[in-house]
Parts: sequence; structure tokens; C-alpha cells
Amino acid sequence: MDLVPRSKSLSPAASGYRDENAALARDLAPIAQITGKGVVPKSMKGDYLGIEVDRSNLVAVCRFLRDQLGFDMLSCISGVDMLDHLETVYHLRSLTRKQLLQIKVRLDHEKPEVESVVSVWPTANWLERETYDMYGIKFSGHPDLRRMLLDDDFEGYPLLKSFHQVPTTVKSPATTQVDPNMAVSGQFQQKGMEHVVQKKVGQGREERLHPGTPTFGHAFEGYEEEASRDDSQKDKPAPGR
Amino acid sequence: MVTKQPVGSGIPGASSDTSEGIKSQEMLLNMGPQHPSTHGVLRLVLTLEGETVTDCTPVIGYLHRGIEKILENRPIMGGIRYMDNADYLSPMLNETAYAGAVEQLMGLEPPRRAQYIRLLTNELQRIASHLVAIGTYGLDLGAFTPVLWAFRDREGILSLFEALGGSRFNVNYLRVGGVLHDFPAGWLKQCEAFLDQLEKNMMELDRLLTGNEIFESRTQGVGYIDQQQAIAYGLTGPILRASGVNWDLRVNRPYMAYREVAVNPQIRQEGDCFARYMVRMLEITESIRLCRIAIDKMPGGPIGTRTPIALRPPRGETYFALESSKGELGVYFISDGGEYPWRAKLRGPSFVNLQILPEMVRGHKMSDTVAILGSIDIVLGEVDR
Repeated sequence: MDLVPRSKSLSPAASGYRDENAALARDLAPIAQITGKGVVPKSMKGDYLGIEVDRSNLVAVCRFLRDQLGFDMLSCISGVDMLDHLETVYHLRSLTRKQLLQIKVRLDHEKPEVESVVSVWPTANWLERETYDMYGIKFSGHPDLRRMLLDDDFEGYPLLKSFHQVPTTVKSPATTQVDPNMAVSGQFQQKGMEHVVQKKVGQGREERLHPGTPTFGHAFEGYEEEASRDDSQKDKPAPGR
Repeated sequence: MVTKQPVGSGIPGASSDTSEGIKSQEMLLNMGPQHPSTHGVLRLVLTLEGETVTDCTPVIGYLHRGIEKILENRPIMGGIRYMDNADYLSPMLNETAYAGAVEQLMGLEPPRRAQYIRLLTNELQRIASHLVAIGTYGLDLGAFTPVLWAFRDREGILSLFEALGGSRFNVNYLRVGGVLHDFPAGWLKQCEAFLDQLEKNMMELDRLLTGNEIFESRTQGVGYIDQQQAIAYGLTGPILRASGVNWDLRVNRPYMAYREVAVNPQIRQEGDCFARYMVRMLEITESIRLCRIAIDKMPGGPIGTRTPIALRPPRGETYFALESSKGELGVYFISDGGEYPWRAKLRGPSFVNLQILPEMVRGHKMSDTVAILGSIDIVLGEVDR
């Protein structure tokens, strides 16, 4: 894919965090005592480590990371919708070790709830509120869990994959009965115009159609004969031309 | 839009007796959403006791456009354009973050020339963003001339961007694997001439503000943050470095061409508004130096890697962060192997930095709120996304 000769690229040796990551992976081993099972640090793209933690142990692990390993800054909390489950992803930074660490917590889709880490890092306050706002994930123990960016009376959680792009509330009864004249344009399509205008949308057979669907008179009973009559009239030269 | 109810500890009508028997009443004051000093549509619900601010609740979301949802529904190359609107004062940096995240996921290394073009444009963008911050900060504190001078200099950068990418603000210049165009003829000469002029102008701006007695008395000792607090609140960028923390992603976790170009991080120990202003002034000087280095070292070669228009990164996730003009700008990118991103989360520095505002303004006078808010240098487009 790369058309550039290797010599013209930046030196690849500059981006090596292999030793630091190995040291961090060793330091992460005591987490096994907190969670009760071994921790498997995964090497992520971009040269940093990622671990996965049970949601019941999250705060204890975070406290250990902050106090013992010096991860004193919480950079980012992201919610992720993976269709069968939700995730919260925490990105931590250590200013002393100059390292980045990712923690991932899996949550159920039905009852997404995870302990809040505000007691560990105060910056989690707004970040968790935003995640709650967008994904509906409840952070238990959060001091002030309200909507952050959206209105307080907003319904639904917009970044879920199940959230509809076009909200259903837009389709009020008044706007469904679209004036067919708006939908029809052009000389050819306007030949059956009077039938379309006479048609009462929402009554009789047309009820089954989605309201607002332009039918151009095809659903109108007996339209075919009239249409053929129209065609035969059209074949004759109009008087006076 | 439905009005959000002010929430805070302040109860209107609660009164307290002073020693002289003068009664003062707590008052809830809405500052914004339309207020010239909030730099956009930020609403602050202030609880005042006399002139003193006892509590402050920022209410945000008036500029929410759902950029993260939009990005999920755009092809990756098409999403770069929407990153411009997140922090509309530094679009180049936003685009670099998004393109960098995709490249990191694909394991793609742009050609060296593209990396240096990115460095040059990023540093120019940082100067432009800091100029707005300093200029409008002077305006907030009652000095009218700095904003005119700063915007005059910023105009030069915008003209350079216009020659480069075709538009002044939302440049849409970066691509995954490189950049859109090479420099037009004579662009680098123009850029050098501009940098020389800017250096002179910056000295004038420095004389205008730095030694100004009114400016100093309004900013020195106001809005103090200590190191521990700054780190605990996740502050990044000039506001963190003004508290004496040596943290700059260009130095501590270098990305792209910053691996070859050494950056001198600008640090101040005072931790007040004046220190934040000084860090921005020093960073402009430092950025001018970096721009000159980039022009001097500008390598030849192609400006981009050939990537398909319908870009399909491999399955996986990555977090890429760079030092924006306001702090750590991160993109957490998840791909399911398709043409559209599965998830693109923006970690906006303004959003995180704004959170400390209640801690900073508590106990200060009402007029200091403006000085403190201006020193954080938020952009509401990035706060609300």
C-alpha cells in the first residue's frame, strides 16, 4: 500500500514503547489479588496496554492503579455499543511513567450499571454524565447523574445503535397527509391529477398504504379505464392547434 | 429548547447576618447562554453573595450537534470534514487527530513530507488558536486593542490556509495517509515572510499586555490551581503547564513528525490566570520556532499514501491523542472492518478543562469569573460537540 521507499519514512525505532509496556505488564500482575483471577494485558495498536476488568472490581482496580502505579490522570471515558453488550472504556495516563492504559468493562444491555470512579478521579464526574447521557449507562455512586449535553426531557439514548436516526415523533398526524400536488411534478405525471386530488387518503382501500405515499391514482378503483380513456383523448390533436 | 432548571446549592432567599447587622441575600444569577464573555453559548448559574461567587454550575449542551453520531454515519474520509466543527478555532488539529487515529489502527505511516506538512500546519493552527485566546482574553478584561492586533495576525494564517486548502476556517485539508494538496508555488516563502512579521507583531502584543498594570492586577493571583488538583481534574494543555506540571504530548508521547523535532515545553509555576496567559504567549514563540524548523527541514517526496476512497480499516480499536492548542485531543476509534466507523469518540480538552471552573471561581468576585473563564480558553463547539 505504501508507495514511499522506506528510507523516506520516519525512523521506526522512535516509536518503541516495548520495554515500558513489558514493565507495566509486570506491575499489573497484583490486580489478580484484587479480582481473584489473572489479568491479561493486551497490546493495543498504538503501543499501549489494555486490560479487561469485571465491573464489580472496577473501583478497587482503579484505586490500585492510581495509588500504586501512578495512573493519576483519567483522560477519557467512552461508552461503546457492541449490539450484544455495552462497554465502558477508560483511558488512563500516568504522568510519572508517561504511559497510557486502557481499561474495558463489559456491561449487560438490559441493565447497564457500573460503579462510578468519581471517588478516584474527580474528572470522571462530567465524563460519566456524558456517557450516561449518550448510552443510558447508570454509574452507581455518582454524585449528580443527570443529562449532560442533551435536554433533561430528551427520550432515549442517541448513541445506542438501536436509536432511530429519524425520531418517530416527527411524524405527527397533521403532516402525514401530504398534498399529492407536492409530490407530483412534470407533464407526464400530471395526467391523472384530478383523480389523485379527489382521492381521500386514509379512507377505504388506501388505508393500507403508508400515509403520504404518492399513489398517482394507481390505487384508485376503476382508474385503469379512465386512464386509457385519457390516453385515447390525448392521441387526438387538440382543437385549435 | 427546554430551559434547564438551575441546580446548585444556592437557595434563593437564604440570608445571612454579617457582624454589622447588614443582611446580605444569596442570589442566583444566570450568566449566558448569550453573553459576550462566555465565548459562545455557555450558561453559568452563579450563586452570589453580594459580589462574591459562592457556587457556580456550568450548563452546557446548547451547541450539541451530535458529531460522534454523525461520524458513525459517514465514510471515514467524509468524517474528516465534520471534525472541523468540533473545535472550530483549530480545525487542522482536529483533522490530524482523526486521521492519526485511523492511521494508527491501519498501521499506516504517512510519507515524511506529509508529516512535516502536518507539523507546519498544526503549529500555524496552534498560533491562530492562541491568538484568539489572547486577543479575546484582553477584550474580556476591558482592553480593546489586543483583539484587533491578534485577529490581524490570525488573518495572515487564515489566508495561508486558504491558499493551501481552499477555505479559511473548515479547511478539510488532511487525508488518511497524507494531506490533500502540496504547497502552491511560493507558499513557503510567503509563510516565512509571515512568520517574520508575526514575530515583530508578537513583541508589540507582548508590550501591550504583559506589562500592563491593569491586566496584571486582574490576572495575577486569580483562579489559582495547584498541581495535584490540576492532575486530578484531568486538565491538559496550557492550563496544566501553567500550574507547573511538565506535560506535553508532543514531548512526552511524541507522534508524527514530533518524533524528529524536539519541542521545548513552556512551563510556569504560578498556576494563576496570568501564568496561563504567559504560557500561551511563550507557546506562540515556540510554535514560530517549530514552523521555521519544519520549513527548513521540509523533505521532498510524495504528500500522501495511496489509500482507497472507500477506506476499510481492519477490525480493532485504538486511542490516538495529540497535543491540541487546548490540551489533549483524543480520538477513540473502533472499526468493525467496514467503511463506516463503529465508534469514534472525541475527547475534547475544552470539555474536561471546563469542569474545574466551579472550583476556581468559588470565593472570587463576580468580575473575576470572566477573567477565570477566559483563561481556561474553552471552545463551546468542542465542549458540546
